[in-house]
Amino acid sequence: MEKDKSFSGNRKYSNNEITVYWKPSACIHASYCYRELIEVFDPSSRPWVDMNGAPTARIIETVNMCPTEALTWKWNDKEKNNAVGIDQTNHIKFRRPELIEESAQESKENPVSVKIMADGPVVIKGNFTLLYSGNEKKINESLISICRCGASDHMPFCDGKHRHIGFTG
Amino acid sequence: MESTDILVLQVNSMNMEENKENKSPAVVEVIDSGPLKISGNFLLIDLKKDISDDSGEVYLCRCGRSGNKPYCDRSHKK
Repeated sequence: MEKDKSFSGNRKYSNNEITVYWKPSACIHASYCYRELIEVFDPSSRPWVDMNGAPTARIIETVNMCPTEALTWKWNDKEKNNAVGIDQTNHIKFRRPELIEESAQESKENPVSVKIMADGPVVIKGNFTLLYSGNEKKINESLISICRCGASDHMPFCDGKHRHIGFTG
Repeated sequence: MESTDILVLQVNSMNMEENKENKSPAVVEVIDSGPLKISGNFLLIDLKKDISDDSGEVYLCRCGRSGNKPYCDRSHKK
């Protein structure tokens, strides 16, 4: 039987305390994870996540930096998950959907964040209009990652190629 | 003057300036075979180069060859 492509490739990695969930289709290669904790998140290793590479607290801290839902985590002890507050995760949309509207309103007037990732893409976050090859797209409270190295196979978006070509800048 | 007073003054004048300019919503435009144009209300941060830019319009290099990264220097045409 053929696998459902949209769900294939999702992985989970556990230590004795937590499980980290990896959803590659959601990754925009913002590269926070391996810049922060290469001991655990090493894209050149297989498997690329080594849950024994660092203490659980550091892994949680790093997963919380992921700007998309590509990396998420849960306690293995189900009871403990009920006590996870929004201050312990940046994945508000997934854990606390009731808070989305409020945060969207607040940030309406904030400037759009344009972050140049060292040796990587430019990550643009907030409410803005995206124009590319004749398309116009409204981005609401979301983020995109645009290639800066010139080597992406998924232009204009980043596909992680900068690491392979050794891009600096 | 206390240093905190100076800070408050600076923040106030920044706020005033922002109101005066009344920046339009941000637009991100991918220019075909060219740079990334970002205009309107945005704040660009480049920690590696120690750049903070809210000038209202920037052109960012997409080809990887600029000598003035993150900005475009038209190297893509060479």
